[in-house]
Amino acid sequence: MRTSEVTKLPVVTLAGEDVAQIKDVVYSADGGAVSGFTLAGRGLLAGPLREGLAWESVLGLGSDAVMIEAEFVMEPAADVVSAAGPAGDSSGESVGGNVLGSRVLTDAGLELGTVVDVIIEFGQSAGESCDVVGYEIAASESLASKGKKGASKGTKLLVPLPDTLAVSGEHLMVPASAEDFVSQDLAGFGASVEAFRAQLEGDPR
Amino acid sequence: MAWWGWLIVVVVVLVVLVGGFLAVQARRRRGGVIAGPSTRASGRGGDR
Repeated sequence: MRTSEVTKLPVVTLAGEDVAQIKDVVYSADGGAVSGFTLAGRGLLAGPLREGLAWESVLGLGSDAVMIEAEFVMEPAADVVSAAGPAGDSSGESVGGNVLGSRVLTDAGLELGTVVDVIIEFGQSAGESCDVVGYEIAASESLASKGKKGASKGTKLLVPLPDTLAVSGEHLMVPASAEDFVSQDLAGFGASVEAFRAQLEGDPR
Repeated sequence: MAWWGWLIVVVVVLVVLVGGFLAVQARRRRGGVIAGPSTRASGRGGDR
């Protein structure tokens, strides 16, 4: 699922009350897992809310709504964002910022492109984590010139991510071998991610 | 200036203010993907 499909989804309680809408998806850079969401109010005049939603409080995430038990499970947005930092860091400072629009570089120094979306994966049962498995990028000229997947500059491609990743500063770093696993369609992307992660762990598939 | 001149000025000012407010609120509501700070230089996977 793309994060762009999650933002603006209504947050609905089990009592059927529409209490907020998703604003930002917050994920821990080290673990590569979604830790929660910041929220905005519903309606044309509403702005961002001070409350956020931890992933543990989400009962269900579907194509039309995010389900929670009740309004009381929402917590201060600052807590949700700071919880995405390293263990023990509750300062909430030096958060990596919005990754949309950031450049993706391999550790071999090749720019793959610019992030236009983030791909997440989660189980349907409560308590399962929500993993960040890839970036959707607009291909760079360097990648296009290599003729990967017949891509031209600006073509949208999916880049798989390792289990753990580094997200800080202005660039997002991925291993150089990620270049070999770029994919154009979301349907087959799960297999690309598995093959890429197996290859990183030294298991040739 | 005639009274209707002032009326037009007031209406234009109101439209600009309301439009600006709605545009600012829409921008504040616009979502993104926020990443927490990282402690590792580069992940190679498999250690979670």
